[in-house]
Amino acid sequence: MNKNQKYVLSIGTILIVLALIYWYSQGAEVFTKTQVLVDKTTDLDKMLGVENKQYVDRFVFGLFPSGMASILELASAASMSGIIILLVGILSYLLRNKRKETK
Amino acid sequence: MKKNLSIIAVIIIFSASVFAQGFKVKASGEQTFNFQDKAGRNQTTFFSTTPLEDITGLSGDVKGRVTFNVNDVKTLKGKVIVSVASIKTGIDLRDEHMRDAGWLDAAKFPEISFEIKKVSDVKVVADNKITAKVTGNYTMKGVTKEVIADATLTYLDESETTKSRAPGDLLGVQAKFNVKLSNYDVNNKVVGQKVSEDIEVSVNIVGSNAQ
Repeated sequence: MNKNQKYVLSIGTILIVLALIYWYSQGAEVFTKTQVLVDKTTDLDKMLGVENKQYVDRFVFGLFPSGMASILELASAASMSGIIILLVGILSYLLRNKRKETK
Repeated sequence: MKKNLSIIAVIIIFSASVFAQGFKVKASGEQTFNFQDKAGRNQTTFFSTTPLEDITGLSGDVKGRVTFNVNDVKTLKGKVIVSVASIKTGIDLRDEHMRDAGWLDAAKFPEISFEIKKVSDVKVVADNKITAKVTGNYTMKGVTKEVIADATLTYLDESETTKSRAPGDLLGVQAKFNVKLSNYDVNNKVVGQKVSEDIEVSVNIVGSNAQ
């Protein structure tokens, strides 16, 4: 492994760790969510003894993708890590030491 | 003879007034409450918990009506209906799967319903608040089973505050009960792993008696 390959591997590792830290900071959800439950109970609801919760559009970064209908659903710690590993592999291959042919 | 009949009648009326448990509100007699709310504020949630994930399915498309004598909650009769297609879980793909034939089969069975059969264990918490056990027929995916819900009913006389929601007196109903998915022909590999076998159903609905 040459210097450039080590550099690419280090950057890739840091990016994966950052993705996992971001995932954890978002609530460590198993699946990526594009909607979350929000409490919209009013004072009148409380007087009536009922709760009111609604799903609202909000992105929550999960460990695994929740679907493939949009980029948001695809975004997850696992899919990001997969892409980073793939890129590190390709770059490591391209940055390999080329042997000098000697006669 | 006449005297005896009078005494019996008085005892019956007295007993009825003592044992009838209802609201102490302005209205009296039989009232019908309609739970239609176009704003989607009437809702039913289906909660599943597994070590992997907690899932809350929520429907804002709840309709139905109940009729009862305000002075005797045990006379409560009615039906509440939820449309399967309206249930959201926060993940579009999961919502699609839930509507599939392997799950709730929304195309064949578009509605989930609860029909009230009996009210028992009535406790008057306040003049306008009552708790009770409501026994009813719960129908999901074409299968009907009897369930018992813990319910809290709250009655509000019409006021400027209540008018912001709907005209007429308002009846708030909060009820909870559990259902086992396998009892309703929902059997697949995911049940028990990603989705719990036992689902907690919660109902939060407000009805109006305005015609």
